[in-house]
Amino acid sequence: MSKQIRNIGVFLVVCYAALFLQVNRLTIFDANELKDNPANNREVERDFSSPRGSIITADGKIVARSVPSNDQYKLQREYPTGELFAHVTGYFAFELGSAGLERSYNDELAGRTIDFDLRKLSDLFVDRERVGDLTLAMRNDVQEVAREQLGQREGSVVALDPRNGEILALWSFPSYDPNGLADHNFDAAEQVAALLNADPEKPTLARSYQDNFFPGSTFKIVTAAAGVERGGVTEDQPEYPARQAYQPVGAGGRPVGRPIGNFGGATCGGTLFPIMEASCNSAFAEMGAEDAGADAMVDIAQAFGFNQDVPIDLPRPARSSFPTDFENDAPKLAQSSIGQNDVRATPLQMALVAAAVANGGEIMTPHVVREVRDDQGEVIDTIATDDVWTQAMSGATADLLRQGMIQVVENGTASRLDDGLEGYVVGGKTGTAQIGSTDSSHAWIIGFAGPPGEAPSVAVAVIVEGQQGVSEQTGGRVAAPIAAAVMRQALEQPVAPADQGSGDSNSGGGQ
Amino acid sequence: MIGTVRRNTELGLLVLGTMFVVGAYVLTTLPDDSPIPNTTGPFLAIIVGLPLVAHVAVRRLAPQADGMLLPLATLLNGLGFVFIVRIDEARAEPDGLAGLQSIWMILGVAAFIATLVVVRDVRLLERNRYTAGFVGIVLLLLPLVPVLGRTINGSKIWVSIGPVNFQPGEFAKLALAVFFAGYLWEKRELLAINRAYGPFSLPDPKHLGPVLLAWGASLVVMVSERDLGSSLLFFTLFLVLIWVATERASYLAVGVLLFAGGAAFAINSFSHVQERVDVWFDPWGKAQGYQVVQAAFAMADGGVSGTGLALGSPTKIPVVESDMIFAAIGEELGLLGATAVLIAFLLMIGAGLRIAQQAARGFERLLAVGLTTLLGFQAFIIMAGVVRLLPLTGVTLPFISYGGSSLLANYVLLALLLRISNDSAERQAEGLAAQ
Repeated sequence: MSKQIRNIGVFLVVCYAALFLQVNRLTIFDANELKDNPANNREVERDFSSPRGSIITADGKIVARSVPSNDQYKLQREYPTGELFAHVTGYFAFELGSAGLERSYNDELAGRTIDFDLRKLSDLFVDRERVGDLTLAMRNDVQEVAREQLGQREGSVVALDPRNGEILALWSFPSYDPNGLADHNFDAAEQVAALLNADPEKPTLARSYQDNFFPGSTFKIVTAAAGVERGGVTEDQPEYPARQAYQPVGAGGRPVGRPIGNFGGATCGGTLFPIMEASCNSAFAEMGAEDAGADAMVDIAQAFGFNQDVPIDLPRPARSSFPTDFENDAPKLAQSSIGQNDVRATPLQMALVAAAVANGGEIMTPHVVREVRDDQGEVIDTIATDDVWTQAMSGATADLLRQGMIQVVENGTASRLDDGLEGYVVGGKTGTAQIGSTDSSHAWIIGFAGPPGEAPSVAVAVIVEGQQGVSEQTGGRVAAPIAAAVMRQALEQPVAPADQGSGDSNSGGGQ
Repeated sequence: MIGTVRRNTELGLLVLGTMFVVGAYVLTTLPDDSPIPNTTGPFLAIIVGLPLVAHVAVRRLAPQADGMLLPLATLLNGLGFVFIVRIDEARAEPDGLAGLQSIWMILGVAAFIATLVVVRDVRLLERNRYTAGFVGIVLLLLPLVPVLGRTINGSKIWVSIGPVNFQPGEFAKLALAVFFAGYLWEKRELLAINRAYGPFSLPDPKHLGPVLLAWGASLVVMVSERDLGSSLLFFTLFLVLIWVATERASYLAVGVLLFAGGAAFAINSFSHVQERVDVWFDPWGKAQGYQVVQAAFAMADGGVSGTGLALGSPTKIPVVESDMIFAAIGEELGLLGATAVLIAFLLMIGAGLRIAQQAARGFERLLAVGLTTLLGFQAFIIMAGVVRLLPLTGVTLPFISYGGSSLLANYVLLALLLRISNDSAERQAEGLAAQ
């Protein structure tokens, strides 16, 4: 009998051991899979009614915050500036998920990073909720000027500080109001989302960094860099012949493909600065196709960030692309050298091209967030400002191109870029990218500005989409005034970093 | 001598367990800034007072009994109570479960003391084994009586008399344990006779009657009351006891075959059984699988150390306060808390089987084995159901789940184990003194 009793004990121990293993499976081994199960809304629900930090611009404007609500979720996410920062903050919704900073900085906003966990240890007997507030590098005033200047035209404005990668403005039209998506009436939120998704203008898409376009002549800066770095191009050499078009040549010097003509059949040529001033297609096509060559063009374009994921702190940035299949395709290389064919760039990428020239060839890692603070205003995390993303070219090349771009403003197509910027050194490059073979085009400008004798402190890219007419003047006429106004705002009213933290921002004013 | 040591050990363990429960209660019910609920005083008095009352009763009525079981039981009971308070408070419309459970706890300890008073000698039970058998069968079938029976959550295991609902099955299992122990001990020699069939040695067919009877009764419970868990529990109880009494493994083999046949028959013939099995294999996206799926999500949220008391959302699991309470423990106390509960039950099983081994007389040994099996196996069936190791069957988790019938019956079970332990210790002491 005692043997049987012992065996019952053994049997029950085996049963409980199996239970123990299964509990291990559920709590540890399968836990992540269970949390990701679409039917599991525990995490979302928890986040949704948990305290969440605010997002504040460098000049103290609250662009996202949680306010008490009278429903079961206790807190309502609110975006006081509506559409103005929608492409940056994104939204934080229940069934629709989240986007923008609400997504990429979710753990910080919810106070769930390791830094916060460590600090929570000391809160054992204190009743406080540790959440993170984001202080942006972006400025509300610059963003507002960008919106006002672009108006009701589809396009984007990007402004950043080339010295540290801090983004000052990131505006695209059309935008959307994230408050509708964060509605606690989920049916209403779904309807808003359905309307936004059905809109052919795609207002939820941040064209400034999530979409790409033909860069047109603004890309000639990259071609010039390749020519100077690897093609023997200097300020004086070579002198491109004055002509109306460039004929690409294949193996054995035989002409291939169609000639690449200048806008309006104009005749142009000369050394580096004159061809930049005139934005001379025939000269840059030859520089890319013959002086630099395919390998140098691809290498330098990639050094500028093309064909790479831009490491910005916002979710799902688009890639800018430069073709790599030039084998025996001289016409394609020539067209690509003037920013056509399969070249695509985000407005952010083109702002970084200007920034590379302004910053001695280095492109700093672009970021919209400056620092993460806790609810006491204590800095938890600071985003690095000395982080080089990519070395686009040598400092000498950058110096040469900077002079060239300044000439373009003084004597060339970007003459309106220094409107109202008296006393500053301003450089730029226009672009007009024809859309297919229609008679409409994207008007571009990229540029930089700063006090004389100092490194430029602002770089911009502006694109106004779908403008009537195809002339090299379009970019200078349409886009340059926008860029000038944005740079003026960025330079004239520099704002010191907000040292007071979120103390005043929680009062709800922030005007 | 041994009695003093055991009682002092028991007191020390009770104090430790009570400290844990009081700590958990305070953490759970005294949140941020809301005023202290007026139930706090009485509830704390119950958490601290009941174990002490039970302890004093054991000192008086069974001073030589095992000192592990009572602290473990009150620890599990207190933990369960804390979770029921917490679940009740989390509901949008609290239905006063915590208050009711506190009354059930008082009645449970009263039943514990009453059992120790009434059953001064286990032989009283042995003499009344056939009465117990009759009572057991009546209780088992009571829910099938048209006027009395009630169907709640799909199982017809409830009886309503006036305003009081109770589950007679919880008490039937005790009565049947007494009956099986007495009957099988009496008939063990007859039942142990085996016949050789070729290489196999099987019980004489004419003694298989009781096995078939128990099997049939289990099937009736399963089919007519839709109570898979109790059915499995009764049949296992009988099988274990006949095996221990006769020391014939052949009964085990026959029993397992009968169980397999019965299960196959039930799965093919009864849609509710088949549904349970389907949901067991694949609960995802099925309405009937909602409970176990939510339980799995809760445990996944718990992780190693749990979300913390009162910081999870156990009320997302339907009927979390009774059948599914193990998932709430897994969520808020994590793998560590769930494992602690498993270990507490294993320690109770160990103590129960040790009592069985030390019991001098056959009936007492069998009864102790039966009671321990009921406790340990019932806890296993429901926890295994919650974590999807077995199909989910509606039985309560002893001492932890909400429910008066279950709590009362388990306190009676505990008292009987302590009575057996006390008697064998006394007899051993007398034997030593006589030498």
